[in-house]
Amino acid sequence: MSFFSSLILPLLIVAIIVYGLLKKVPVYEEFVIGAKEGFATAVQIIPNLVAILFAIGMFRASGAMEFIATLLAPLFELIGFPSELLPMAIFRPLTGSGSVAILAELIQTHGEESLIVKMAAIMFGSTETTFYVIAVYFGAIGVHKIRYAVQAGLIADFAGMAAAVTVGYWFFG
Amino acid sequence: MNYLWAGLIIISLLSAVGQDISDELNNRWLNGQTIHARLSQNELGEVLIQLPKQQLYAHWQGQQLQLKPDQNLPPHWQNIAAQQDTKTPLRLSITPKGQQNGSVQLVLPEVHHVRLKAITEAAFDMAKFGVKLALGLAGIMALWLGLMRIAEQSGLIKKLVWLVRPLLAPLFPDVPKDHPAFGSISLNLTANLLGLGNAATPMGIRAMQQLQELNQNKKEASDAMCMFLALNTSSVQLLPPVTLIALLGAQSGELILPIILATLASTTAAIIAAKLYARRGKAS
Repeated sequence: MSFFSSLILPLLIVAIIVYGLLKKVPVYEEFVIGAKEGFATAVQIIPNLVAILFAIGMFRASGAMEFIATLLAPLFELIGFPSELLPMAIFRPLTGSGSVAILAELIQTHGEESLIVKMAAIMFGSTETTFYVIAVYFGAIGVHKIRYAVQAGLIADFAGMAAAVTVGYWFFG
Repeated sequence: MNYLWAGLIIISLLSAVGQDISDELNNRWLNGQTIHARLSQNELGEVLIQLPKQQLYAHWQGQQLQLKPDQNLPPHWQNIAAQQDTKTPLRLSITPKGQQNGSVQLVLPEVHHVRLKAITEAAFDMAKFGVKLALGLAGIMALWLGLMRIAEQSGLIKKLVWLVRPLLAPLFPDVPKDHPAFGSISLNLTANLLGLGNAATPMGIRAMQQLQELNQNKKEASDAMCMFLALNTSSVQLLPPVTLIALLGAQSGELILPIILATLASTTAAIIAAKLYARRGKAS
């Protein structure tokens, strides 16, 4: 599996270029045209990234999350959702690096073998940093009115988290 | 999005002010408290501070004592040191009374509105980080979009579109059936599937650009875009993300099946949610 995953990218790169050569595409020139576009897009998303990241950074530093987590904990315990996982559930859609830090902390306090860490890892693996993806993708095309994209993404995240806990109990409980 | 974004910022400020006021009222940082200690000096010029349970070495600096923050400080002192820059020494001022026999009273620096400082700093740090992240992305974007351009020109994308169309067409009814957007969408989802995060983003952005060409109202997200975003953020993962492998090592292997199952649930939820929202939007 790991051989396959290290092979796939270089193979794909070479395959695209070789196929282009076979079809008599001026591969170098076309690459540069595409790359120019890619570079411009990356610069274009900077304002969106700054906007989303600074708000998330403030939220993270403010300690509001701990406060929300203590408020919500009894409610979630009631439905069998371990309250230790709440920080993960709240932060996962917001920040990738923040949720990695939370996972590392859980590993330290509960140990690699614990159910909590396994559930948190499933949660981490099965959901995305929705807000970052939305900021980058819509930022790249300059669309600001994004209608129901956030709601649909969050509903999916929520389903993924509930499923992570359920599957965690099921496999390791 | 406007309310969510503004909400995050407003909640941050309220929470920070609330905690700082509560810290101040409870005097969490024990500001103004004096500590009884005995001082003596050795021939190297170091000052030995003798506390009831601990001994520490410090240096004179004017009327103050300086302690390196990496020293074995008592817990409360460590908390205070952690509130300042890690390189600045912890400064203790000495109240003059009781100086006979080297016994003195020490006063720790006062600590105020920690959270307010923290959120301000976080705002600036993350703003800087955003630019760094985007510039880091620029190289990868250039690489992948360059390759995508070759694949488009050579007809490789067309072949891919033909392959994935039956699967994706029902999800994107507004996209014409031979449109290259299907190619980028499937490449993005495949990259996600294999946990190749940095290949996924450029292809996803390409897909968004192609969907934008089809979009009637250029300022508003189309149904196809929302469906794509929902699929993307919930996407099925066959291989665990690289960060997870780095954190958990060999253990991540037994998480593969649970992750696939959990993502199947979230992908299903994403498709249903996006479809329902799209239908509601068309009805009104």
